[in-house]
Amino acid sequence: MEHEDVRASQDPVAEADAAAVFQRLGAMTRQLHDALSELGVMPQLQQAAEGLPDARSRLNYVAEKTAAAAGKVLDAVDEAKALNAAVSALARDLAQRLDGTTSAPPSPQELVWVLRDIEQRAEQADARLTDIMLAQDFHDLTGQVVARVVTLANELEVSLVKLLVEVAPEQAAAAAPRRLDGPVVDPKGRSDVAVDQAQVDDLLASLGF
Amino acid sequence: MTTLGELRFLVVDDFATMRRIVRGLLKDMGCVRVEEAEDGVAALQTLRSQSFDFVVSDINMPNMNGFDLLKSIRADPGLKHLPVLMVTAEARKEDIVLAAQNGASGYIVKPFTKATLEEKVLKIVQKMPPRA
Repeated sequence: MEHEDVRASQDPVAEADAAAVFQRLGAMTRQLHDALSELGVMPQLQQAAEGLPDARSRLNYVAEKTAAAAGKVLDAVDEAKALNAAVSALARDLAQRLDGTTSAPPSPQELVWVLRDIEQRAEQADARLTDIMLAQDFHDLTGQVVARVVTLANELEVSLVKLLVEVAPEQAAAAAPRRLDGPVVDPKGRSDVAVDQAQVDDLLASLGF
Repeated sequence: MTTLGELRFLVVDDFATMRRIVRGLLKDMGCVRVEEAEDGVAALQTLRSQSFDFVVSDINMPNMNGFDLLKSIRADPGLKHLPVLMVTAEARKEDIVLAAQNGASGYIVKPFTKATLEEKVLKIVQKMPPRA
């Protein structure tokens, strides 16, 4: 009973303190907003902040590409190992038949069949190795995307630094170098990009190239 | 017709992994004479000091990007004849058109397949004059 009385008597004071803090924060936020507007850095900060969802989607792209590459490589490894095992079995069986360990030696025709089978499986295994090599392209594609995210982070940092040193808002815009965006992370809804090689070829053909 | 084994290729890309991939695919096609450069500046130095028959170039590179390399090659009397195949992640239509207008011999967007690279290289090689 005594504790409840104490708590009841403390609440109004705590509430009053909290209200004063919120009022003070509100006033400071308003002051900050007005200062940012006067300095002219709001558009830059807004632009930098708007880049954050873009950075998120780019990092998601990196995760997806990396996972897809890992999947492709593991699939190719599984298939190549199976082909390799089959080649080993064929070669072992052939060797055992030739040295008389198992059944009768193979006829010349059987020998040709087995060697052709080995050759075919070796070619298929080689194709799987090429698939593994091609799957490494994720390194290039994700590297470009990561570089773009780093650029976005740098732009945000620059905006905040400008705010801190209160740079004058009138700044001559430097001539922007040509923007290279790297891989298209999400082509949905975009008409300004070619989404595959067929579209690249069609575009060039339509222009006479 | 010129055979692929006779030609000397220069692969230009700032990512070593991609240079290895293109080199490996060219080798599968029978192109055994392949050199590498990591950006446009290094590529130009190499092209001006040694004889090459074919350039495969990325666009997005530091120091000198693929567009500037292409323009430099086309502006150089000793190099302007070289076929230049762009292999790049830049898929904006204006970039594709710009490359074509500046004299690119072909344009491949990443990721690409072995069949696409083979098709584009052979198409360009078929148009090359026979070697003396």
